[in-house]
Amino acid sequence: MSEAEKQQRIDSMIRVDQAGEYGATRIYAGQLAVMGDRAPGAAEISAMAQQEADHRARFDALMAERGVRPTLLQPIWDKAGFALGAVTALIGPEAAMACTAAIETEIERHYTQQLDELGEEDPELSAMVTEFRDDEREHHDAAIEAGAERAPVYGLMSGAIRLGCRVAIGLSKRI
Amino acid sequence: MEKPDYASMTLDEMAQALAPAVADAAVFDGWTDKAVASAAEFEGLDPDVARLAYPGGPMDMIEAWISATDRAMAEALPADMIAQMGFSQRIRSLVVFRIEQAAQKREALRRALVVMAMPQNAVRTAKLSWRTADLMWRMAGDTATDFNHYSKRAILASIYAATLTVLVDDDSAGQADTYSFLDRRLEDVARFGKAKARFTGGDREHFSLARMLGRLRYPAR
Repeated sequence: MSEAEKQQRIDSMIRVDQAGEYGATRIYAGQLAVMGDRAPGAAEISAMAQQEADHRARFDALMAERGVRPTLLQPIWDKAGFALGAVTALIGPEAAMACTAAIETEIERHYTQQLDELGEEDPELSAMVTEFRDDEREHHDAAIEAGAERAPVYGLMSGAIRLGCRVAIGLSKRI
Repeated sequence: MEKPDYASMTLDEMAQALAPAVADAAVFDGWTDKAVASAAEFEGLDPDVARLAYPGGPMDMIEAWISATDRAMAEALPADMIAQMGFSQRIRSLVVFRIEQAAQKREALRRALVVMAMPQNAVRTAKLSWRTADLMWRMAGDTATDFNHYSKRAILASIYAATLTVLVDDDSAGQADTYSFLDRRLEDVARFGKAKARFTGGDREHFSLARMLGRLRYPAR
């Protein structure tokens, strides 16, 4: 593989990761807009939201430093993420947690794939991805513990959200 | 100016290094093989070799000219110099540098714009002008990682393109008309940005559906 292609692949990874963290902050923003500080579980969600905001800030910085263009679909992730967060939070605290569990599962899978693909190529990016993946895994476990699986039609909702995530990841890599 | 060492260059490097001379010749010959030949002669290079550097004809020559200008711009305005300027001043000085470069070869610019306006070159022209706008924003220290990344580049590319068309026909002393055109466009953008900020302004009270539904779903305990 030529240098330029390699560069493009890494740029595309940074682009999709930044889009993912951006989407995550929007989902949590949607959930918190509905839940405020009144709903059960709001405190946990707001802690996760803070971590995602930090992930996003660090990908933003990496993106600016390396001159990678952001995804063109960003305005869509803005609205779609917020809507998904708001709707799941309206269904109930368990549904909000189910949404978190489903998303973090996909993100964790995506980060693991990316780490395999990266190998030793880009230690800086690998270190960030590894760290973030561990955070996402904690979010996932916390969500399951908070009763994600007790949500109504858990299987269906989780499947739909995970499919949505995969589509979003695929699109953000390219566009 | 010192002449570059063509013998040790790749074809791509040669294309760029020779480009300013080709632009000089294009003032008389247009963006043609003839211009390449006379540029090569002037630079002491074998014309047949020089022609190999531009296999795609006029668009290749123009792209090399643009790349050479990009390079010169990056050299003339290094990061530490730009860092001392205000934000609106940064973009302006980058554009001004390019205008100064092009103003010396207005006839070459006119002919380049004609070639670039041909339908078969439309896609490549769009890519080139995006690339230039992208470079200018990067040099200006833009860190937008949202959709603004795209709107900033689109606005700058259109302003720059419009300014070049003014420059081509600008016979005023010191290209004063071109500069005042550029300043008016930049002011328009700044004014629009301010109006937009006032309209969507941060701490204004606004209706939120999510918040209303949330209060119904999770009433105060």
